[in-house]
Amino acid sequence: MTLTANSPTTFQTSTARRAPPARPRRSASTNTLGISLVTLASLIALWFLAARFGWASPLFLPSPAEVLAQFSAVAADGYANDTLLNHTLASLGRIAAALGAGIVLGVPLGLLMGLNRWIKGIFSVPIDLYWGLPPLAYLPLLIIWLGIGETSKITLLTLSTFAPICFAAQAGVRSVPVERINAALSLGASSLQLFTTIILPSALPEILTGLRIAIGAGLSTLVAAELIAAQSGLGYMIMSAANFLATDVVFVGLIVIAALAFAFTSGMRWLEHRLVPWKGKL
Amino acid sequence: MLRIRDASVTFPASDGQDVHALDHVSLDIAPASIVVAVGASGCGKSTLLNAIAGFLPLTEGTITLDGREIAAPGGDRGVVFQKDTLLPWASVLDNVALGLKYRGVPRAERHELSRRLLELVGLADFAEKPPYELSGGMRQRVGIARALATDPKILLMDEPFGALDSLTRETMQQLLASVWAKTGKQILFITHSIEEALTLGTTIVVMSPRPGRIVARFDADFVRDFAESGDIGPIQSHPRFIELRKEIRSLIHQPEGARTGTLQ
Repeated sequence: MTLTANSPTTFQTSTARRAPPARPRRSASTNTLGISLVTLASLIALWFLAARFGWASPLFLPSPAEVLAQFSAVAADGYANDTLLNHTLASLGRIAAALGAGIVLGVPLGLLMGLNRWIKGIFSVPIDLYWGLPPLAYLPLLIIWLGIGETSKITLLTLSTFAPICFAAQAGVRSVPVERINAALSLGASSLQLFTTIILPSALPEILTGLRIAIGAGLSTLVAAELIAAQSGLGYMIMSAANFLATDVVFVGLIVIAALAFAFTSGMRWLEHRLVPWKGKL
Repeated sequence: MLRIRDASVTFPASDGQDVHALDHVSLDIAPASIVVAVGASGCGKSTLLNAIAGFLPLTEGTITLDGREIAAPGGDRGVVFQKDTLLPWASVLDNVALGLKYRGVPRAERHELSRRLLELVGLADFAEKPPYELSGGMRQRVGIARALATDPKILLMDEPFGALDSLTRETMQQLLASVWAKTGKQILFITHSIEEALTLGTTIVVMSPRPGRIVARFDADFVRDFAESGDIGPIQSHPRFIELRKEIRSLIHQPEGARTGTLQ
């Protein structure tokens, strides 16, 4: 596609550089998909072989067939007081609540911290202090304060999703190029217009990256929290199964968590692609 | 009419010695003129432009636009930056329409006006594209259209073609000359290229660094021929052009001690 072909102008666009192709080549990134699939298939094949030839005791490494059978059994009849679906929904509900709270609190506060020196000065100290702590270290404290129910777990998860979102929103504001702000001001933007049309969209890619990190942090904290104090959830199911050396159920739980983590990451990638297709382009 | 009187900008430096980026500069920019400030790096030409745009406060002196003193950035002064500052999430059309959106112009109206401006800069077919699919020269054209959209009293251009290759640069100079001839905007243009200054300026001010001040001022008329003919060759081989180029070059390369006060 040359510019001269579709630009009917008196200015000789033939001397201008050609526009880059509309869609950047993606073969480099799709190429790894094939490699990843082969790796995954090899791992599963290795698992089959290990189980088939008894390289490890079924107690430690159940065969894929056993896990699959257990999967449908847990899905239909349940394990540890509830079905697999309900355990999964319990975990998902907690993480959704924590993500929602993390976004509602973290995005506005992070944006304000990026915009205002005072707000940053005041809030960065407590956030930095608690963010350095391992969540499981202060979980007992939360249980003492808030009880063993859902409140303490969702608070714990919110604390672990809030910080990355808040940091990302802050970094997003700070990453806005000063020329972009000057350009908007010289076009007559008011403070509010500057925020809504320049700062917020400029910060969006960073915020989405923060959200992806928050999901990862939330997911790992979630399972850990359910291992310690819960009556439902995937972590609780895994812990109960481990107590009875039901390794196949442990595998079922792990596979579901891995699938959830994969789905979240893919979902976020998709969201980023949809919402900020310009990321890193200008 | 833009009136600059005794404008000074001083930056505190780390060694305690203040940097006089701009030292008592006075300059008038009349309607329908292109004033080009040319000089070596650090001569204060960009500082001057930033002060007029309102990005930078003056330490001393005043700048008035049609009698009103400039204190902050505003829509009456359109700025075209060296680095393009288009919004990657908005289409080319919405980028051009941004200033009109800030003014509350209804969508249909601002799009119609922006389409006309895109036609003026030769990008009518690229209205719906995102800016990152355009080349550097095309993006600068969008920048010019965007700055023109709010119908500013003056256009401030900070080395807008400095990052472009020489062929694209020539096309852009031609575009600017023709836009100027069509709109009659007053323009302040910053460049470090003497040829560009002479090709585009109706007035050329030569600036020198440390402290940043105007050391000479020339009137030229090459831009009118250029706007009409679109041919840079005969202009740049004109004896007067060559003579002025030589004179400006020697002024810019003069050792610092040898300079005297402002020539008129």
